[in-house]
Amino acid sequence: MQAAISVSGLFKRYGAIEAVNGVDLEIAAGQVYALLGPNGAGKTTLIEILEGYRERDAGEVSVLGLDPQRQRGELNRRVGIVLQRSTPMEGLTPREMLSFSARLYDAPMRVEEALEFVGLTEHADRRGSKLSGGQKRRLDLATSVIGNPDLIFLDEPTTGFDATARRQAWEVVRGLTDRGATVILTTHYLDEAEHLAQRIGLIKSGQIIFEGDIEGLRREMRTDTRISWQPPSDIDTSDLPTEWAGVQRRLDGRLSLPTQTPTEHLSRLIDWSRAHGLVELPELQVERPDLEEMYLELIEDSSALASAEVNA
Amino acid sequence: MSARNLLRSLRLGLAYTGLSLKVTYREPAAVLFVIAFPIIFLVIFSSLLTFDLAIPEGAQGNIPTITFSQYFVAGIMGSAIFGTSFNLLGNSLAIQQFDGTLKQLAATPLPKLSFFMGLVGTAIVYTLLQVIVIIILGVAAYDIDLPDAGGWLTLLWIILLGVPAGCVMGIAITAIIPSARAAPAVLQLPFVLFQFISGVFFTLHSLPTWLQWVSGLFPLRWVAQGLRSVFLPDAYRYAEPGMGWQLELAALVLLVWIVIGLVVARFTFKWDRSG
Repeated sequence: MQAAISVSGLFKRYGAIEAVNGVDLEIAAGQVYALLGPNGAGKTTLIEILEGYRERDAGEVSVLGLDPQRQRGELNRRVGIVLQRSTPMEGLTPREMLSFSARLYDAPMRVEEALEFVGLTEHADRRGSKLSGGQKRRLDLATSVIGNPDLIFLDEPTTGFDATARRQAWEVVRGLTDRGATVILTTHYLDEAEHLAQRIGLIKSGQIIFEGDIEGLRREMRTDTRISWQPPSDIDTSDLPTEWAGVQRRLDGRLSLPTQTPTEHLSRLIDWSRAHGLVELPELQVERPDLEEMYLELIEDSSALASAEVNA
Repeated sequence: MSARNLLRSLRLGLAYTGLSLKVTYREPAAVLFVIAFPIIFLVIFSSLLTFDLAIPEGAQGNIPTITFSQYFVAGIMGSAIFGTSFNLLGNSLAIQQFDGTLKQLAATPLPKLSFFMGLVGTAIVYTLLQVIVIIILGVAAYDIDLPDAGGWLTLLWIILLGVPAGCVMGIAITAIIPSARAAPAVLQLPFVLFQFISGVFFTLHSLPTWLQWVSGLFPLRWVAQGLRSVFLPDAYRYAEPGMGWQLELAALVLLVWIVIGLVVARFTFKWDRSG
């Protein structure tokens, strides 16, 4: 399949911070691709380079075969962008706003069609200031797709939505791919990516640390059982068995080891604790975290996935 | 740019003007401000200052006396031109830079030319509205003498050059506005200053010579001077620093400002300062 987006060796630095630190990315046409990651991971910087808002420091970027930095005018005709912050012109109705937007494109949807597509037909003649948050967001979406774009960027389209509004928004996004468009979605909700995306890129500290489908992510993250306990403050943990090099100290102070051979490691851990005169390891747990937990942990500390990969 | 693209940009520029006007006239506070501003000033100053203007030195023959109101109509009109183009536009642009409206717009195929046409078009419509209000009020309440045919023509070209000059200055100054909240303050300072040194409230010869020179560097002085040529008898040109209306010079200064402003705006204008 032809690539809608192709990125190689992309870097962008702000002062001392590498916001995008060596990203390679290939996104096939016709897919929903979710860029997932915590706030400050570099999602927005990466997306805004692809959209043409920001200039890159180094690397190759091709969006629909165009360089967003040099051919932005041409790109704007073929790309729809829904920004994080909604800014409808409050004095205008959806119909007025869309009628104007439609004039900007060569082969736009009909206004009625765009209204229907996002489910705003009933509210077509209501002032922007009187629309609810979800309705404004759907107007943003209609404005961005009325030009029949080949590629649509959705930056956190459902942040701040209640459950019902999110479901409705997801339906609309699915409708986009039915029309043959490629969708790039940024989100920090794992379930949103799970529901919508064929492929997921996990970004952390300016790097893509995982890429694949949701099943791949699940496999990658689920391989490990975790042994964790709360070390007493008077016990020296520096002489833990060498296999325990991958141990992580979590925010609550627990020590946690991802492993594929939990029985073996547990037995060594027990030997070690006896040697230190500990009969009971406080709050000892042997568990297999689910995807959501893994993801939340990842947001706290990206080494969780790195060590999971080492052990896999 | 091909002729077809130019035509498209012009058409979209008109459409964008229409859209912006619609947004603003549905904002009653904005409309009220635009209409009320010249009315309030005209009423207050005309009631405070009831004297006639001094006959200018060097004027010959039978010189008609002129009320302060007649003088002030020209000044307040200049103020209105500069207020809508520089002040109002600079303020709304700054808000749109910081709230992401322009960021969204920059991602659409709306030609930049159409966008800037829309800004200027909107300001011209508002200015015309204010001018009409001022003239109606002036004639109805303060017995203002209306200009002759040549005067109307001068009034028209002063609006058509003065508004774009104010607009490009308003666009350019957004570069030094640090936040949407600071916009009114940053704009107000030069606006008030220009009004005081450009012969809006006081005649120019009541200013020290060096300040007259300074005011001569900026558009509002030439807009106001041109408008005085429209509303005052010809003999009063002797009251101007150059002993004449200097309309050619006024047109030249405004054109130069439009060019300078465009160049500055070209390099400093930001579509997105929301991040």
